[in-house]
Amino acid sequence: MIKRQKALLAAVSKGAVDMLPLSLAVLPWGILFGSLAIQRGLSGFEAQLFSALVFGGAVQIVTVELMAENASLVTILFSALIISSRHFLYGLTLREKLRVQPLSWRMSIGFLLTDELFSLSGHPRAYQNKFRLYYALGAGGSFYFAWNTWTAVGIVAGSWLPDLTKLGLDFAIAATFIALVVPEIKHLSTLICVVVSAFFALVFSLFDVAFGLVAAAILGMLAGFFVQKLRSK
Amino acid sequence: MTYITLLLLASITFTTRYLFLEGKLPIRLGPNIRCLLSFSGPAVLTAIFIPILFIHQQQLDISMSNAYLWGGLAASIAAYKTSSVYWTIALGTGLFLLTGMFF
Repeated sequence: MIKRQKALLAAVSKGAVDMLPLSLAVLPWGILFGSLAIQRGLSGFEAQLFSALVFGGAVQIVTVELMAENASLVTILFSALIISSRHFLYGLTLREKLRVQPLSWRMSIGFLLTDELFSLSGHPRAYQNKFRLYYALGAGGSFYFAWNTWTAVGIVAGSWLPDLTKLGLDFAIAATFIALVVPEIKHLSTLICVVVSAFFALVFSLFDVAFGLVAAAILGMLAGFFVQKLRSK
Repeated sequence: MTYITLLLLASITFTTRYLFLEGKLPIRLGPNIRCLLSFSGPAVLTAIFIPILFIHQQQLDISMSNAYLWGGLAASIAAYKTSSVYWTIALGTGLFLLTGMFF
């Protein structure tokens, strides 16, 4: 019994260690959000609650800006839905693995299911046994802890930091996602998927298309899918 | 008001993440859909980072002075050669900062 607990604990820490580079890489964004929230008039407590409950990157930054501009509640919520809608794809992708798990596991993994946790969920047996569930809990939980810690740093530093939004901190996110995508390109189908997604992401972003991110991703997925089908014939 | 907005926002992000993990939803995914979804990771992440590199002030910026492109190039090469998140971020950010100072 004690042996089993030790093994589960080892799974948790392996998850946290695998997540560590990503937890460190969101440091600039966490600080950006914390300081931005203070500068846009939120209290320290409200800003922290944002990261504790909403637990999103872009969605938090965009909604704080909208709230500061006195945008209507509908606008704020709709923007949040647009930015978060990509998570529907993650949920669908993991559905067959997670739907059979008990409610408490589904709720906790669901709450922690960020881009980062999803990118560590690619293993064929991910979420299939207790150890892999605890592994995901360690990965997602440590990322949650990191995001909230960086937010707190931003809140404390926010009053004396300059406006960080124009400092190019978004490059850290780009570099992180490059690190997650490029090693995944092992087949022609994935390469085509990425190229098509990139092309439409640029077009939709330039023309300000609502749900452009998700639309571009789906077009990329379709392209990858068809290439794979053609090649396996 | 802030608290109500906050709670509504939290329920939106949670719903988008949790919804399809719910077993009671009457959805069955066939092999084709599952194959399609296997591309979701690279497709979504690419659609997020490409505009960060190429689009500034709502305009396409393909020029030598765009530090994001230099940083992105360095990060891509590092990711391809090392597959390490640490090296990718270190080398990418390094060249990003360097070219940002230079131009």
